[in-house]
Amino acid sequence: MSASGTVPLITTRALTRRFGAVTALDALMVTVPVGITGLVGANGAGKSTFVKILLGLVAPSDGEAAVLGHDVVRDSQAIRALVGYMPEHDCLPPEMSAAEFVGFLARCSGLPATAARERAADVLRHVGLYEERYRPMGGYSTGMAQRVKLAQALVHDPRLLILDEPTNGLDPAGRDEMLALISRTGHEFGISVLVSSHLLGELERICAHVVLIDGGRLVRADAVGTLTRETGTLIIEIDGPRDQFIDALGARGIRVSDTGHGRAERILVEIPETATTADVDTVLDGIRDAAVVTNAGLLRLERRRGQLEDLFAA
Amino acid sequence: MSAPAIHDLGYRRYEGARHGAREAWRALFWQGFRAMWGLGRPFKAKAIPVFVAVVTTLPVLASLTASSVSGGQLPIRYGMLVSGQLVLFILFAAAQAPEVVSRDQQHRVLPLILTRDVTRLQYATARLAAVWFATFTLCLAPLLLAYVGEIGIAKNPAVAFKTMGSRIGPVLLYATITSWLFATVGAALASLSARRAYATASVIGLFLVVGAITTGLDQMAGLSDTVTVLLDPLRTLRTLAMVLFGETTRAMELTPPPPVGVLLAMLVVIGSAASALLLWRLRRLRV
Repeated sequence: MSASGTVPLITTRALTRRFGAVTALDALMVTVPVGITGLVGANGAGKSTFVKILLGLVAPSDGEAAVLGHDVVRDSQAIRALVGYMPEHDCLPPEMSAAEFVGFLARCSGLPATAARERAADVLRHVGLYEERYRPMGGYSTGMAQRVKLAQALVHDPRLLILDEPTNGLDPAGRDEMLALISRTGHEFGISVLVSSHLLGELERICAHVVLIDGGRLVRADAVGTLTRETGTLIIEIDGPRDQFIDALGARGIRVSDTGHGRAERILVEIPETATTADVDTVLDGIRDAAVVTNAGLLRLERRRGQLEDLFAA
Repeated sequence: MSAPAIHDLGYRRYEGARHGAREAWRALFWQGFRAMWGLGRPFKAKAIPVFVAVVTTLPVLASLTASSVSGGQLPIRYGMLVSGQLVLFILFAAAQAPEVVSRDQQHRVLPLILTRDVTRLQYATARLAAVWFATFTLCLAPLLLAYVGEIGIAKNPAVAFKTMGSRIGPVLLYATITSWLFATVGAALASLSARRAYATASVIGLFLVVGAITTGLDQMAGLSDTVTVLLDPLRTLRTLAMVLFGETTRAMELTPPPPVGVLLAMLVVIGSAASALLLWRLRRLRV
């Protein structure tokens, strides 16, 4: 996906991290291209450890990782100016105002005091905080707090944003706004994003790529489009004599993989992976004929699309 | 209040200067210093610093007034004045150091700071320097007030300055070493706990317990004054004040105190050990 000549966002080679007897990351090998990438995994899959190694907060036990071409151990200072981090947990001192807090963190990234103040105001406006930014953060709603956390990650104008569960605790409207904001930040300002979430639907909406890890190992890394392309399963729904319809399909050499049993009128037909377009057309014609013969109403006939959820079943 | 919608303006690239770790250190230092004094914070956060500052300078004003009224007959006893304030200095360091060192842990701000242009060592030194400098200003205030006041109320300030000019040395030295001890111990114990109340209690408790143990040992084993003065940092500081400002007590006339160098070395060592504890703790703190 990355343009030719572009350094990949993140590359790891046999990245391993052990905490005593527990292996949090087990020889992880992954390359993340420029753009918006989702990081998926159950709790304890190694997501946080992976993120903390990229940020230089945790040292790898073995193997290597590089962010934008900089090694996370040797070049950790160089990475810091390029990366913005939004943690999953609460991190806002209640007695400070958002303007003060974000400005303070901008200075911790080396911005001079005046520039830090201006940048803080800019990014807080960008995330949708106006007059509230002068109030102590202890009184903020979850939605406002999440915005401040995003603003502080953006304040030093990083090349890569690492967002850990950014939609946690938000209501559906707040969730939509946060996703739109992340998507715009990624697409319009040329900032790459690595976003972790356990809600796959969200990642499908905003990410170009998905990295799935489990037990500290890479399960799959691919473009979202590839992961959700059409599969070889046909979904049929009919209104009418279902047993006769299935028999009629069998007479035409169409094998039914799931008769739906009591559930609705759904019937599944598998098309072999080797099937050509002509083969598929033959099957579709057969289904049509079977419906005509048995006088069944054909309510639905479509190719099932893959879902990110299927990755977990695999 | 704005509408909840996120507007399509505001984000701009930043092309300006980046000063790196130097700017970050300064930010951590000044933010810590302001937190120590409660500057830019609600009234509640200012209560203890302001109370301590007022209470420690009042006796100096009283002394100056008495000296002025008596035409210089009542001398201003720096050592006595500052010895009585030590407990208040401890209260300041114990109550305020957690604002700088514990709160970043309590509110989990550390991961945000340590992923910027700040190493753990830089973070630790900036925070320690902030606690020390704030405590230094507090310790210096009464002594400097007495010093400037004494010159000011003299009949001939120019002459008074000539005779007293060299006293600024002990004033600065005493404020430095006192704040060094209290700030390092306060910051080190505060770094061990994310809860402000525990941190404050442990700092005050430590000095009380050490004092009580020294008294107990003294009564049971009959230690010499030289030993008790070195065992209890508060006694060390009181004795140092007397020696530095050329004052004596009856006890000191009976048993001459250890040399100034030994007293200073003792305090420097305790403070350095506390600083080492702080650095060790912040280095291995999991964030």
